[in-house]
Amino acid sequence: MLIYSRMKSVGVQKQGENRRVVSGVLEDELYAMQCEIAVDWPTLTLESVQARMKRFTTERCPLASEVFARAEGWRIDSELDGKIKKELGRMGCRHMAILMVDCCRALARAELARELATALEADPALDKKGLAEDFFRRYPDLKDYLQLV
Amino acid sequence: MILDYQMNSITTVQPLVQGLWRVTARTDDTLFSAEVTLDIMAPALDIRNARIEVRRDTLGLTPDLSKVSEKLVGVRVGPGMTKIVRGLIGGETGSARIAELVLEAMEMLVNALTVPELRKATQAIGKDIAFPDDGPTVFLNNRVIGTEQAASMAANPRLKDSCVVFRDL
Repeated sequence: MLIYSRMKSVGVQKQGENRRVVSGVLEDELYAMQCEIAVDWPTLTLESVQARMKRFTTERCPLASEVFARAEGWRIDSELDGKIKKELGRMGCRHMAILMVDCCRALARAELARELATALEADPALDKKGLAEDFFRRYPDLKDYLQLV
Repeated sequence: MILDYQMNSITTVQPLVQGLWRVTARTDDTLFSAEVTLDIMAPALDIRNARIEVRRDTLGLTPDLSKVSEKLVGVRVGPGMTKIVRGLIGGETGSARIAELVLEAMEMLVNALTVPELRKATQAIGKDIAFPDDGPTVFLNNRVIGTEQAASMAANPRLKDSCVVFRDL
């Protein structure tokens, strides 16, 4: 019998040429929370962050929701995960910080997945690894950010 | 709006025998799928067995880590584990993503061990609330640990200033 289970689900959508939106949910025995982030592309800037504590353990946990809006204006780069975990996680909620990190990473991976899908339509025998290398040459910040996809 | 990328992950903790847990962390997204299984034993909370399986790697960027998993045996859940795991599994020749999956599995054991303690505390000294954002008809937070009790928990140096609950009390 399981004593613990944590589920996270993240989805990314493209809203026009310059806007990406990611939504994520986290559920386990202790917590339920959700996070939505709008990002300007290709500047990789977080334009809007919504964090909602849905189910929690103490009456102070909802105070964390407001902390995460501090990320508005931050960029997706190699510093982002550390800033989210240290500045937002410690000031707000470590679990929400984990979800937000997953959301931001999903945004970067989604861009690559989208390019791959488009390229495969034109050339089913495409060199996928080569496409990834080309993608990271165009987005060096994302290469540093993801390290490996 | 139709999504064009999804990531789903699930981490579970299962007791095998007294003081031995199996933690399984799996992630699946549009491009990648992997599963990490760790057997972790009390009292040291050290890894006794580890398995890493990359199930799908569309871009072919992840190196073969089947042998590397053996290096995790002996690593303990606790302070310093992040640096150790990233050193063993991440880096130039490893996979940062798999390293994070291993760390997630280790961290979720801590969560699992916390659940019964928080359940006891909520039942014993929790306070009834109706959180306005829950309603108006279904309330997810009918009983929580109150601010006074959180303040006494904040005396624990591991918790103090660790999140908004234990800050400025």
